[in-house]
Amino acid sequence: MNTNSKETSVLAKQHRAGWFFLLPATILIFVLNFYPMFQAFIISLKKGSPAALQWTTPIFNNYTRMLQDKLFIRSVGNTFLYLLIQVPIMLVLAILLAQLLNNKDLKFRGLFRTMVFLPCATSLVSYALIFKSLFATQGLINSVLVNLGIFKENFNFLGTPWSAKMVIIIALIWRWTGYNMVFYLAGLQNIEYSVYEAAKIDGANGWETFWGITVPLLRPVIVMTFIMSINGTLQLFDESMNLTGGGPANSTITMSHYIYNNSFGQGVGNFGYSSALSFIVFIMVAVLAFINLKVGDKRD
Amino acid sequence: MTDTKIIKANSSAIQKRLIPTYIFLVFWCLFSVFPLYWMITAATNASIEVARGKIVFGTYAATNFKNLLAAEPLFKSLANSFKYSIVQTVLCLFICSLAGYGFELYHDKAKDKLFGILLLAMMVPQVATMIPLFRMVSDAHLLNTVWAFILPSISTPFMIMMFRQNSRNFPVDIMEAARLDGLSEFAIFFRMYLPVMKSTYAAAAVISFMNAWNSYMWPKVVMNTDTSAMNMPMLIANLAAGYTVDYGTLMMGVLFCSVPTMIIFFILQKQFAEGITGSVK
Amino acid sequence: MKKRIVSAIMAGTMVASLAACSPSPEAPATSAETKAAGETKAAAETQAAAETQATEAASEDANTLTVYAWDKNFNIPALKAAEADYQKNVNPDFKLNIVEQSQSSDVENAVTLAGSAGDYSTLPDIVLFQDHYFKKYVTDFPEAWASFEGADINWDDFGAEKLSYSTIDGVHYGMPVDNGTVIFAYRTDLLEQAGYTIDDMKGISWDEWIEIGKKVYDTTGKYLLSMDGDGNDLPYMMLQAEGVSQFKDGDINLSENETFKKIIDVIVRGAKENVIYLANDWSDYTDQTIVGDMVAGVMNGNWIIPTIEQVGDNSGKWEITSMPTLEGNGKEGFASNGGSSLYITSNCQNLELAQDFLGKTFGAGSTETYDAALKNGGVITCSAKAGQSAVYNEGIEYFNNTPVYAEIVKMSANVPVVEQSDYHYPTRTQVAAAIQNIINGADADASIKDAEDQVRFAMQG
Repeated sequence: MNTNSKETSVLAKQHRAGWFFLLPATILIFVLNFYPMFQAFIISLKKGSPAALQWTTPIFNNYTRMLQDKLFIRSVGNTFLYLLIQVPIMLVLAILLAQLLNNKDLKFRGLFRTMVFLPCATSLVSYALIFKSLFATQGLINSVLVNLGIFKENFNFLGTPWSAKMVIIIALIWRWTGYNMVFYLAGLQNIEYSVYEAAKIDGANGWETFWGITVPLLRPVIVMTFIMSINGTLQLFDESMNLTGGGPANSTITMSHYIYNNSFGQGVGNFGYSSALSFIVFIMVAVLAFINLKVGDKRD
Repeated sequence: MTDTKIIKANSSAIQKRLIPTYIFLVFWCLFSVFPLYWMITAATNASIEVARGKIVFGTYAATNFKNLLAAEPLFKSLANSFKYSIVQTVLCLFICSLAGYGFELYHDKAKDKLFGILLLAMMVPQVATMIPLFRMVSDAHLLNTVWAFILPSISTPFMIMMFRQNSRNFPVDIMEAARLDGLSEFAIFFRMYLPVMKSTYAAAAVISFMNAWNSYMWPKVVMNTDTSAMNMPMLIANLAAGYTVDYGTLMMGVLFCSVPTMIIFFILQKQFAEGITGSVK
Repeated sequence: MKKRIVSAIMAGTMVASLAACSPSPEAPATSAETKAAGETKAAAETQAAAETQATEAASEDANTLTVYAWDKNFNIPALKAAEADYQKNVNPDFKLNIVEQSQSSDVENAVTLAGSAGDYSTLPDIVLFQDHYFKKYVTDFPEAWASFEGADINWDDFGAEKLSYSTIDGVHYGMPVDNGTVIFAYRTDLLEQAGYTIDDMKGISWDEWIEIGKKVYDTTGKYLLSMDGDGNDLPYMMLQAEGVSQFKDGDINLSENETFKKIIDVIVRGAKENVIYLANDWSDYTDQTIVGDMVAGVMNGNWIIPTIEQVGDNSGKWEITSMPTLEGNGKEGFASNGGSSLYITSNCQNLELAQDFLGKTFGAGSTETYDAALKNGGVITCSAKAGQSAVYNEGIEYFNNTPVYAEIVKMSANVPVVEQSDYHYPTRTQVAAAIQNIINGADADASIKDAEDQVRFAMQG
């Protein structure tokens, strides 16, 4: 480098200014995320009444204990089921919708786009209530299906394990597909139209252009939405809590819901154990996000 | 530019080819709008009609609204929700855009590493930090204040990331030119960056406002000692609980809770799309 | 230059956010609404508290008490009735500041959080608390509570079973509000169609009851009973009617508990034979099965009555009686479910006022309080004295002009006291899951054993 001292000082000044820009956000995240997380770790090594926590013996007892906790294992299973079924369906639908809406010849594009996005403007509490009422045994979906002759009698969607899971998945798809679609649509709009023209001249059909051009160019967006969705699904709470209450017989309970029950379920308040559980969730999310980033990068 | 005639001749053929697209989109839109339509009709029906799945408009809108006003401090909660959401959005945008700007335009190895560390915070489950955070807020005597509400959400990795990504589109030449003109680093941020990044701010504002508006778990923990601090989701939860629930009134509440975020989205829709576009480049 | 801009911006944001966070009384929107809600005073107090930086939720004004309660159609009218009573007869300046919570668990969480922060000053003077969970909260947070020691209250007026939840080592912590005595209400018109009367349902065995239920379903298409399948209220009530608990000497007692197993068997058979309908959750239970008119019978704590009464068309068709038992042959079942009491917290700065207020209203069987609570909220007392009032002895049109309220107060004296546990909640969810699994085909003994193991797991926590 051939810099004189004056330039270095200017550069140094700029760098220092750079740090000032980061400072407020960084401090806040450390104080309000990492420090509480550290405290939660300390709590995770303790047990007893929240007012008088004591160290467990052995010290990692709360962690070893969860291996025998059938309900926790079940909640992990449920969460991963949502992850494996719902996330791919939702993201594929979102890309598909984005692709369709990116067509310049399409009429009413703005209207379609707004309607597709609209669900994610509803609050979580509200949308859980809406879906609960729609899928109630005497609710609308049942009366439609019975009137059409598809069902003989009203079906208890939320009271049957497999269908309760299905309702949660449908509700998640309803709420989040439009949200992800917005990101894909934005990604698509960054792709030059000429790339498609060129492909057309080369004789590629729609399917080929989609896999050959759209998906590779969208990859960074896909990785980002994947990480957001994995994160969101592993921390899934409201749907389990408000839509099914984790039932029937805990068949839809998620990890976060189970952790919440351990902290704030009536008469429980087992902060130590629930903190240990949340640490495990944190590790799972971090590992999955890491794998995702690696896989996403490899094809570069 | 091609001849207009050719375009016209082509257009009907193109529209014909798009028919499956239209059909699919119409179906999807019905799927995504129907629950909202039902929410609106339900707000105009009596409780029993709602429970039995009536889907046309009824005559109970006025009654439901009156019951809602009698049961809960609707306007107070609406005002609270606006207050919390606006304060949170303004502070969050300010703090996170500063950080995003700093991380991108002054980036070096140390800052990139720090950014990676901050991203980890995105993976911290909310339930895990709730208890220690409550203790902090309680110790600071901030329970039932707007500060308790906003503190955990004014600096989020997601927002920082969004501003960082968008800042890539910010022309560095302008900065150099401004520096030559003698503008300080902070002045560049306020005079150059802020106006250029309008659409990013709009997109971030939509997301931040929606998050703040819909937030329920945390306010329930830090604001449940004071009815006059309640926000809209808490009000809905009050309506939905109890030995007996009036569904018409409940849906009227849900309607009041959902409409503001939708309006905001409608208003900022264009800028929102542009802002997101910048963030995924 | 740059400093000025930064400080200007910072000042701007601070001012904006400060203005937004502490609404001044003259802010037009705020004052108009609070006035409309008639809460100007309460709001002003909370503001004053916030301004002095003391987040203390309990009232400091000598004549005001703050209370947490849930359910604006039930408990809150009862509290308002007591407030009016006390204002009229004791202290005209008295004010009760009711902070509505969306559900009972919100109150429990407020105690848990305050306890974990080691600072009970966030609690109000009085909390409404679920009877079943109170013991656990005294064990975990002994410093959160104040008792009624030193107050002049005739406790003998209340049912022993009700008091057993709130009395610990002989010390009274809770003031009963409602009465959880179980009623079994039947639609007499539907019973008649199947060839029965309300008297046929009294003192029968559960086996006989199931047979009747089958006929009722065949002739009318209605279930004889529905219940929230997400909880264990049904087995709990049936077990209590036998005088048996899910716990024994502090330990969980399911797999070796023959009575418990028989009861689970009744429930499973009933569910399979279309006699019992298990709803998905609480709102499904009340709104679909009861208000949705799916059932010919309702068995629950008597606070379920307002829900039954929501279906105006069925007025005059309902009557109530006691529960069946395993044994039958004229043996009637009595149990209690739900219900809550008022507890004074250690944060109450004016203990005497709180004790006096509760003691002279709910605690003295005050007709004025209880009659209004019954009329406005459907809250039925467990005070024998209050149960003698004219209002209680009126025939109720909805229940075919029978005096159901007096009947319930009488029934409450017969409820047996059974062992309670700190682990009521985990037991509740585990037993509910076991029942659902058995109905879906799992082995009964294995499922019950599994539930027991899970509760033990929680107990070791």
